[in-house]
Amino acid sequence: MRITRPYLIELITALALILAPFVLPHLGFSPSTINRILIWGLFGLGFDILFGYTGLLSFGQSAFYGTGGMFAAYLLTEAGFDHVMVAIILGAVVAGVVGYFIGLIALRRTGIYFAMITVAIAEVFFFVEFNPLSAFTGGENGLPGVPTPTFNLGFTVLKFNTDWSMYGFLAFWYFVGIVIALRIVRSPVGAILSAIRDNPRRAEALGHNIHGYKLTAFVVAAIYAGFAGGLLGVMQGFMPPDAFMFDTSGQLVMQTAIGGAGTLFGPLLGATVWLYLSDFFQNTLHLGATWKLVLGIVFVLLVCFLRRGIVGAMVDLYALAAGGGNEEPAGASAGSPPFDPAAIEPMPPRRRGDAPASGPILRAQGLSKRYGGIVANSDIDFTVDHGEIRGIIGPNGAGKSTFFKMLTCEVAPTSGQITFEGRDITGMDVSAVCQLGLTKSYQINQLFDRLTVRRNLTIAALGETRGRFRLDLFKNLHGVPGLDEQVERTAALVNLTARLDRPVSELPYGEKRRLEIGLALATSPSLLLLDEPLAGMSPRERVETVALLKSIARGRTMIIIDHDMDSLFELVGKVTVLQEGRVLVEGMPAEIRTNAKVQEAYLGGVHGEMA
Amino acid sequence: MPLDDKDTANISRRTVLHAGAAVLGGAFLPGFSVAAFADDKPAIGTWPAGSAGDTVYIGAAVPLTGAYALQGADELKGWQLAVEHINNGHDLMKAMAPKVDKGLLGKKVELLSADSAAKPNQAVEVEQNYINQNKIILMTGSTSSAVAVALNKFAQREKVLYVAGISGSNDTTGKDCVRYGFRQNLFGQTSAAAIGPVLLKQFGKNKKAAFMTPDYTYGHTVTKSVNDYLTSEGGWEMVTNQISPLGTQDFSQYLTNIANSGAEFLINVNWGRDAVLSSQQAKQFGLLPNMKLVIPYQIPFLAKEVGPEITEGVFAATDFWWTQEDQYPLAKQFVEAFQAKFGYRPEWGAENSYVSFAHWARMVSEAGSFYPPDIIKQYEKGETIPSLLGDVHYRPEDHQCIRPVVIVRGKAKKDMKNDEDFWEVLEVVPGEGLMQKPDAFGCQLGDYL
Amino acid sequence: MINWANFISQCFNGLVLGALLALISSGLTIIYGTLGVLNLAHGAMFMLGGYAGWLAYSYTGSYLAAVVAGSLFVMVVGVVMERLIIRHFYTRPQEDQLLVTFGLVIVFVEAVRFFFGSMSQTLPPPAPLVGITNLGFMIYPTYRLALLGIVAVALLVLYFVLYRTRIGMIVRAGIEDSGMVDSLGIDVYRIFMLVFGIGAMAAGFAGVVNAPVVSIAPDVGEAILVQTFVVVVIGGVGSFPGAIIGGLIAGEIISITSMFNPGYSYIMLFVAMTLVLVIRPHGLLGQAGRE
Repeated sequence: MRITRPYLIELITALALILAPFVLPHLGFSPSTINRILIWGLFGLGFDILFGYTGLLSFGQSAFYGTGGMFAAYLLTEAGFDHVMVAIILGAVVAGVVGYFIGLIALRRTGIYFAMITVAIAEVFFFVEFNPLSAFTGGENGLPGVPTPTFNLGFTVLKFNTDWSMYGFLAFWYFVGIVIALRIVRSPVGAILSAIRDNPRRAEALGHNIHGYKLTAFVVAAIYAGFAGGLLGVMQGFMPPDAFMFDTSGQLVMQTAIGGAGTLFGPLLGATVWLYLSDFFQNTLHLGATWKLVLGIVFVLLVCFLRRGIVGAMVDLYALAAGGGNEEPAGASAGSPPFDPAAIEPMPPRRRGDAPASGPILRAQGLSKRYGGIVANSDIDFTVDHGEIRGIIGPNGAGKSTFFKMLTCEVAPTSGQITFEGRDITGMDVSAVCQLGLTKSYQINQLFDRLTVRRNLTIAALGETRGRFRLDLFKNLHGVPGLDEQVERTAALVNLTARLDRPVSELPYGEKRRLEIGLALATSPSLLLLDEPLAGMSPRERVETVALLKSIARGRTMIIIDHDMDSLFELVGKVTVLQEGRVLVEGMPAEIRTNAKVQEAYLGGVHGEMA
Repeated sequence: MPLDDKDTANISRRTVLHAGAAVLGGAFLPGFSVAAFADDKPAIGTWPAGSAGDTVYIGAAVPLTGAYALQGADELKGWQLAVEHINNGHDLMKAMAPKVDKGLLGKKVELLSADSAAKPNQAVEVEQNYINQNKIILMTGSTSSAVAVALNKFAQREKVLYVAGISGSNDTTGKDCVRYGFRQNLFGQTSAAAIGPVLLKQFGKNKKAAFMTPDYTYGHTVTKSVNDYLTSEGGWEMVTNQISPLGTQDFSQYLTNIANSGAEFLINVNWGRDAVLSSQQAKQFGLLPNMKLVIPYQIPFLAKEVGPEITEGVFAATDFWWTQEDQYPLAKQFVEAFQAKFGYRPEWGAENSYVSFAHWARMVSEAGSFYPPDIIKQYEKGETIPSLLGDVHYRPEDHQCIRPVVIVRGKAKKDMKNDEDFWEVLEVVPGEGLMQKPDAFGCQLGDYL
Repeated sequence: MINWANFISQCFNGLVLGALLALISSGLTIIYGTLGVLNLAHGAMFMLGGYAGWLAYSYTGSYLAAVVAGSLFVMVVGVVMERLIIRHFYTRPQEDQLLVTFGLVIVFVEAVRFFFGSMSQTLPPPAPLVGITNLGFMIYPTYRLALLGIVAVALLVLYFVLYRTRIGMIVRAGIEDSGMVDSLGIDVYRIFMLVFGIGAMAAGFAGVVNAPVVSIAPDVGEAILVQTFVVVVIGGVGSFPGAIIGGLIAGEIISITSMFNPGYSYIMLFVAMTLVLVIRPHGLLGQAGRE
């Protein structure tokens, strides 16, 4: 589903918010329920950026919801502060600051560790609210008496003291929230967040400081949570201590899952379903205590069968209803357009710094890597000059991939030194090295599978245009200068222009392989490492890819690992042979072909011409 | 990805403002359909809309899941029975609210209830919904003072009456009291003042007591009330006060501290499941029966859950115990009606539910009006009215019912006449002497309108 | 009250609590290590064990029957859960696994409430273990002393299964390298089912043997789950020895802190977890790269 009209989503949202009070009451929603749905929806916007877009499932959002709400409520009740909006915003800021520090701890780990840590953190916050800080938070009683907002506009005073006027207030803020959230997910940061969700390691290898971006998402979620918490207190005139409870986080997670994560509207829809069902089970079906059991069963079934929540199901239904009409003609999707090497426009690397463009670009000295007792590489000395194309071969287990990983700083060497363009990069971060102009295409595709080809290349190109970390949260992705050109140029180079708007998961293997190279290329590296670029390709694809690599090579240094020696030797100037983690021999292809040691390494001592 | 798309221009601040204004403008339209009202009685809360039809609704936010689900279910039964008795003009109801006649002011009463999980936020959510959808004219619910305080404040804000369920904190009719809230049952201060003299009479002066206190306001206030009395009047000494977080499962650390404290009495202020677990484990650690267990604020079903091996000889203060049916005819009627309907003898949560509804029905029918200020003023007359345990009255200054406190002692298993005969009633202490001064806990009731 | 006798008793409390946490956590950790699924319903397994044991006890009056019935029942629940639900989530994102097990917590807890009500139930210890034992330097509930032994034996059995049997070898191989089991040509699904059952059984067994100490109620598993997480994070995900060390550390932190100020015992626990994360992000005995 591609929406090309600007602001269509914003417009539909505004319209829906205006129509809701006329429609929803007829469906059995009371105004206070609708108001609560909006607060959950707003709370969920931040959470969806964290979970749906960045892939970080936190069970600790209650900590920030409670913190923001309590801070605002404390200002408005105990401290005698009387600007409601300022208090709520301050609460959100405090939640954001707290989120920053918590994020520093929690984001040390990902996946289930992250989930478990956030659970624990939420528990601590509840304890702290309940006991040590009870003088400020009212302990188990919470803070009653939170005033409703009033705005003196000079000519009139706006009061939000009835359910429907409160709806207007909350709907306004929900709208502001969704506009901001949409900007964030459409910004370069938003693109990188979804890259982190799909493949954090590759996102990092493409030059992005993923820790910084994860922390950003975490803080954004905390701010949304704190803001929603403040609104809760104002909405019901009471800031409850149970906002801090684990159940609050749990309910948010479940609502988001029901509605559909990664859609921004999922949490709102999920809250609607959740609140509606809990009311329906209790007050229409009179299930008594059993309501929660039934709701639990419904939830489990939804997770099992509705993988992407209600919004996801609606998108699928829409696609189904739209039918084959939107599909490309069958012929076009069967294969790539014919490949014409002559048409390829070369893509020179970006000049970084003022290092001389001659002499060695990369030098490794005494490089060794040990995993426990296993020696993967030992004492490798290796130098590549500017403009050179170097091949690396070696039997399986020779330590080629480990060697590459050390060069790109994915793994730190046990000993030794790596110098790139005269700079010592040993122990640097992989993203920083990518920023310097050294990157790699992987042996096994490392793509962002759920995103389109365009998005994949965009993410790669962003690293080059924006640096490791930049907080351009509100910048339009397509407003980044030179970005679209870079994406399209790269796509043309790897012959994927016709596939730009396809999800990667739908591409055939050969095209994925070209995209893999394209990702590395889009970062405009001055030194490009290619780890078995030809692996798994058909003979025709090999020919095409070799031509592609030749054109890429103009003005660029490359190091290529491959097992297809015919193709490799056609490409490269010099070849380095690794065996058992050491450099066996180095020389021109012709020398290597006939070298006895190499033949022995490959054929186990049986002499003969190598295939 | 629906949002994975391309925008062509930047959104302007003006667009946001316009859209926002449209949202606001649109939202004001519905909802202003409150009926016309009499001159001297402006529409307030759910009045008069709530009593316009043939049926008036009461909303109960009661814990059916979570830690207090057991007590909540019992409370709910008390309310259900009361509503049934109001609607069929049962003798018991008429004894407490004579003008009730198969309904209230010619209208049927219907009870709505939903789960609060003992959480203030969920309780407010439930009641807010009922106010919106059913125009309820009375709210009830709580088995925790946090819920009671939240609903108190909510009642005052919404101008809808609230009668508390189980709520032991001094704050409910103390610093968090409101004009629209009333409490029938005993609370920390009164139970401490009632059980203190009994302890001194039974055991004499200068004893050593260990306290177990749940770490929240209710716990701290009850511990303070009990300890203040015992130290100032009896020269008792608090040798340790073990404060445990709400929801503690394993009390061994606290009990170890108590075992090493040299206490002769174990005063357990924990509530709900915390009380069950801490008492059971005190027994496991051999603290009981060596130390005397005192439960200043009795927990419904405690004896049933922990068994008479633990409650034997335990002193507790409570609102009501079913064996009082022998002394009080109304209590007998209540216990019989309850048992006939629900199959077990009611605990004090159900008793409080029933009586607080009966009192409310009395006030409404005496005032002859559903107009909340009329009902409040009827309460505030402070008339002597019947309860299951004799005459009581509501104090106009803080809306607390002045009612007796029942001191019970756990029976040994061999002395139990049936499987619910856990406690013997030692004393019924009249309420007047137990109450603090109305302003002692800082009660400010607030406005009628 | 900080004296020698009290200190020793508190250490003992910590030991009992820690051993129990170790047992529950090792179940959680071997399931995660082998299957890659974090079972948020692990606390519910603990609770179900207690209820199944209690039910068996009320029919037979035998503690032993309760322990056997509780453990077996939860093992069956684990196996069925794996077959019916978890199996379909191996290929789905980790978040979906968390969501579905989180939903199952509600289902289990509320189903038990539906059938048995909210009233807590007690499983008495076997007659010889009722009462208090005088150890000379302190007195201690006999059953809790016995519990230490019972849990230790259970951990030994688990150790034996993991380190001395073929299944254990496969499980540990799977924890080391999830690809390896596939390449050995072993029917992984059968192994997974069994591991899930064994892991759940560890929690179920703990639930029964703990029932005489902490009477059972529908939400008894929730509090224990959070502590289990902390144990696993401290010890290192997927590490059986880590779970044991983590459990003991957690138990001692809770007990010894409460000697000074009980209100802070849980906060100290989380402080310890944070420290471990800062100093050794993969837990004390965890390996890098497993998450």
